[in-house]
Amino acid sequence: MLNRRRFIVGAALIAAAVSYLVYAGIRTTSMYYFELPEFVARRDGLVGETLRVKGWVRQGSVRWDARTSELAFELAAKDGGSPVPVAFHGIRPDMFSEGREVVVEGRYQQGALAARQIMTSCPSKYEPAVAGGAPRAGS
Amino acid sequence: MAELGRLAVCLALLFAAYGVLAGLLGGIRRRAHLARSAEHAAYAVLALVVIATVILLRALLRHDFTLEYVAAYSSSTLPTQYTVAALWGGQKGSLLFWSLLLTLFTTVVQVQNRERNRALMPYVTATLMCVAVFFLSLLVFVTDPFERLPVAAREGADLNPLLQNYWMMIHPPSLYTGYVSASVPFAFAIAALASGQLGDQWMRSVRRWALFSWAFLSLGNLLGARWAYEVLGWGGYWAWDPVENAAFMPWLVSTAYLHSVMIQEKRDMLRIWNMVLVLLTFALTIFGTFLTRSGVISSVHSFTQSGLGPFFIGFLLFVLLVAGGLLAYRLPELRTPAVMESFLSREAAFLFNNLVLVGIAFAVFWGTVFPVLSEWVRGVKITVGPPFFNRVNAPLGLVLLFLAGVGPAIAWRRASPRNLRRAFTGPVGAGLAAAAALAVARVPLGYAFATFALGVFVLGTIVQEFWRGMRARQAMLHESAPRALGRLVGKNRRRYGGYLIHVGVVSIFVAIAASNAFRIEAQETLKPGDEMAAGKFRLRYERITSDENAHLSRVAAEVSVWRGGKRIATLAPEKRFYKKPQQPTTEVAMRSTLTEDLYLVLGSYDPPTGLVTLQAYVNPLVSWLWLGGVIMAGGTLVTMWPSAAERRAPAFELGAGRVPAG
Repeated sequence: MLNRRRFIVGAALIAAAVSYLVYAGIRTTSMYYFELPEFVARRDGLVGETLRVKGWVRQGSVRWDARTSELAFELAAKDGGSPVPVAFHGIRPDMFSEGREVVVEGRYQQGALAARQIMTSCPSKYEPAVAGGAPRAGS
Repeated sequence: MAELGRLAVCLALLFAAYGVLAGLLGGIRRRAHLARSAEHAAYAVLALVVIATVILLRALLRHDFTLEYVAAYSSSTLPTQYTVAALWGGQKGSLLFWSLLLTLFTTVVQVQNRERNRALMPYVTATLMCVAVFFLSLLVFVTDPFERLPVAAREGADLNPLLQNYWMMIHPPSLYTGYVSASVPFAFAIAALASGQLGDQWMRSVRRWALFSWAFLSLGNLLGARWAYEVLGWGGYWAWDPVENAAFMPWLVSTAYLHSVMIQEKRDMLRIWNMVLVLLTFALTIFGTFLTRSGVISSVHSFTQSGLGPFFIGFLLFVLLVAGGLLAYRLPELRTPAVMESFLSREAAFLFNNLVLVGIAFAVFWGTVFPVLSEWVRGVKITVGPPFFNRVNAPLGLVLLFLAGVGPAIAWRRASPRNLRRAFTGPVGAGLAAAAALAVARVPLGYAFATFALGVFVLGTIVQEFWRGMRARQAMLHESAPRALGRLVGKNRRRYGGYLIHVGVVSIFVAIAASNAFRIEAQETLKPGDEMAAGKFRLRYERITSDENAHLSRVAAEVSVWRGGKRIATLAPEKRFYKKPQQPTTEVAMRSTLTEDLYLVLGSYDPPTGLVTLQAYVNPLVSWLWLGGVIMAGGTLVTMWPSAAERRAPAFELGAGRVPAG
């Protein structure tokens, strides 16, 4: 039975290594994910943090300069309230447009989000997106 | 016609429910006629689901926009091949497609086992029909693919442009095939537990099915990667999105099973573990479907809340409860007296490979559900992204690669010092030589370095296996070298096919390591005639062109590619604007060679000035990823091909013979 015990030790070592990797990985790479209103409520404590915020691109707020690849807009709640300015340098995503739901990943500083990535959800593969409560087919 | 389709689905549900009951009764009471009756019901289910699928397909092809599904996922200008693909492009259609595959596989299993496994079959049928009942109920009660619109649409909203792509046509069917065929080993495992026939028979009966499912999961994952690479235009092929993870996790566990099953065949060990892996693979396919459809976990692909989540979770819990209960009930009978004798043995290498594979699956699972868990526990959503998955999985992947080299060469039971010397002197030497060469070439120490060196080590063991096998045949049977090699593989298909698959795996590891470690990225805004550098390439933006048809319009930037003062290619990355779901998409332009891909994206353009922003990536060795996939597919074919002995054997013995484990 000595062998069985040794194998259990070996297996436990692997399990421990995996657990440690997961633990350390989460500690060093995880970031907060907020819906915009929640973010606005807590933002004073989040200065300097890298995080993800989900919101809607506020109507009329998008400034895009194709020459410099500078994108500026306001992230707002669905009804347009509590906007937060976002600055992004890079390629404007295909699905990015006013009124769309986006997730901004970036650092919060000086009252604005310096985005390093803007994730636009590509329209559902499986189910029509629901806009304004009424099903709108396949958009 | 649509009403007929709905009727067919409803009837299919009734027959499937009958199949479950008749199968269970037939199994428990040992009534052969009830078991047959259950099988006949399953045939009827297949026929009805085929009718329903044909009706939906016909509606799509005829652009019958009175149907909600047709109007939502196709249009009159959608090319025919994508109209067919719309069958699985939407939720409802994909559930119907799933049911079709499931009932098709059920039928194949029944035909294969008309005269075999008679004690298992009632439970197999009942289990598969139970899964069918779940999917058909969704179609009948929750999301009806034959739903009519209150007012017929004049035109369809069209298929998502991102899905109008060659790879997207074949990726979902492949993945679904892998997912759904995992139900067959699961059904046999349940049948073995329920009937108490816990020997190796059930496992041998589903060996090909397990491999089939694994192969299509592999293919599905690779095709998905290929699609992401070509269509999404961010320069990479894998983003650890929940949707990708959903397909990756069952693949990992299924891979573990394919290895550990050999230990059971050879040494009669790990019976419980194997059972767990089969059950877990199936549970993960259901979990994966849940992930992609429930909207619980936000993903790049926003699978909006569809109300299906609770059903999937319910079914998943049901599966886990039944499977776990049966397993607990049979636990004493499943224990075997065999024990591992040494760490230095093939079974130990396989066991550790299993632990690492399941460990990776666990890490991926944890990272995927972490946002939800953290919200429950701490009230704050915390996400992890690709850095987490890469950090955790890179070291585990290296261990796996190392074990892929050890496993095939080390002796069973207990390796003697002599065996170790004989098996590893060559490969370890090759690995060390590769490491030295890499050091001379100034490849920085890191994951890529380690992957390359270990890859050579693994290839070394494989080449040595082929070489020694061939030489032995030449010496004993006086065969010519090619003939000896052919016979060697032909007589041990599973073993040498497995080695070929490992060659593909090495190729994929190398591709992943190289493209992660040495990728070059450049982005510049240019006016016509301007140049930019991307690695060893110079890119000159020549002009912008545009054209238009009924379905879409496009703008392309013509870019000439120069290297060493010579023009080697012209690439034209595009932006497309689909007309129906008014949506721009990016069309990547690529120059792909064995050494690297030059990957160009038209980021943005400004018509009045002619300015464009180009994004260029030089991704080394990405071709090796697809090449590795092709090699794996070849190896799988070798492994699955019936051997001469099997072909000669009467049908009812098919697959019952024991092939020496690799």
